[in-house]
Amino acid sequence: MSSEVKIQAEPRTEFGKGAARRIRRQAKVPAVLYGHGNNPVHISLPGHELMLALKTANALLSVQLNGKSQLALPKQVQRDPIKGFIEHADLIVVSRGEKVTVEVPVVLVGEADPDALVTLEHATVALEAEATHIPESVEVDIEGAVAGTQILAKDLKLTEGSTLSLDEEALVVNLVAAPTAEDIEAELAEAEADLGVEHDEPTSETESDETTEDDGAPEAGEGDSGTPGQE
Amino acid sequence: MLIPRRVKHRKQHHPKRTGMAKGGTKLSFGDYGIQAVEPAYVTNRQIESARIAMTRHIKRGGKVWINIYPDRPLTKKPAETRMGSGKGSPEWWIANVKPGRVMFELSGVPEPIAREALRRAMHKLPMKCRFVSREGSDF
Repeated sequence: MSSEVKIQAEPRTEFGKGAARRIRRQAKVPAVLYGHGNNPVHISLPGHELMLALKTANALLSVQLNGKSQLALPKQVQRDPIKGFIEHADLIVVSRGEKVTVEVPVVLVGEADPDALVTLEHATVALEAEATHIPESVEVDIEGAVAGTQILAKDLKLTEGSTLSLDEEALVVNLVAAPTAEDIEAELAEAEADLGVEHDEPTSETESDETTEDDGAPEAGEGDSGTPGQE
Repeated sequence: MLIPRRVKHRKQHHPKRTGMAKGGTKLSFGDYGIQAVEPAYVTNRQIESARIAMTRHIKRGGKVWINIYPDRPLTKKPAETRMGSGKGSPEWWIANVKPGRVMFELSGVPEPIAREALRRAMHKLPMKCRFVSREGSDF
């Protein structure tokens, strides 16, 4: 459950990429606030405070604009893919007690059986919850789970007041049998043969059976030549 | 190795290398990944080589996703040939990777193993890359 984060906003009067860049140069973020059938309001928010607030998923923001306060949730956040700073934020207006649909991250807890391969099919699940009581994550306990276990959306333990918006039969966590070391080795040997990779053989006296690939270098000898220019 | 089964045009122009990745900049499937920091053409051999390097390190227990596909052909004229006489023959298949693109993803292994496996895979790739993880990412 995240608490409200107060953030001071300023109205924006000029638009377009030139204006947006001027705002970003002042360490602010252009944003838009909309919802509840009102006209969108263009605002700029302090960059550092917004970045800290958005470190939590579905952070509830209390936007202070022209002396008034308005609750909002981040609807879409555009970030620079390399540097990670926020370029623009879409905020949707919510009110206290209003039910909203949000994507909540799934967190795995515990250690599954070592022979099982855990795959998270849904990294987030859609929940309907009160805007002021949005859970930060949904925990799934996989302690001792064996291969073949499937955790569906209906098996998730949700916090009180939140309901699932996802199909109940949707697969969230899947545990399959991990491939054996022999399978992996055979597959890698085939892939390396396709690439034309030759390993340095530690012993060179046996020359009779060259048909079976004996994969003599399990981990250290990955002398593959993946350079582009070679044909 | 990854090769398109069928293409509309056998010989194409070189793809543009400007700009940033438009999508695929976040982890979609796994818990850890390799993100490109520079633009590059990544050949199918390099993709396969990186995959082998990381799979060899994680041995068993992990799952690997490849998010790029080498769908663009590059041609080459034979050595010691005079200029002209048309475009050369297709020689490589490449993926045009822009900065920000998450190329490989990995899950099912502890972070130190994933970090080392992806570090080994990065050495097979032609551009500067970095390790990204779901835990360290912003929402």
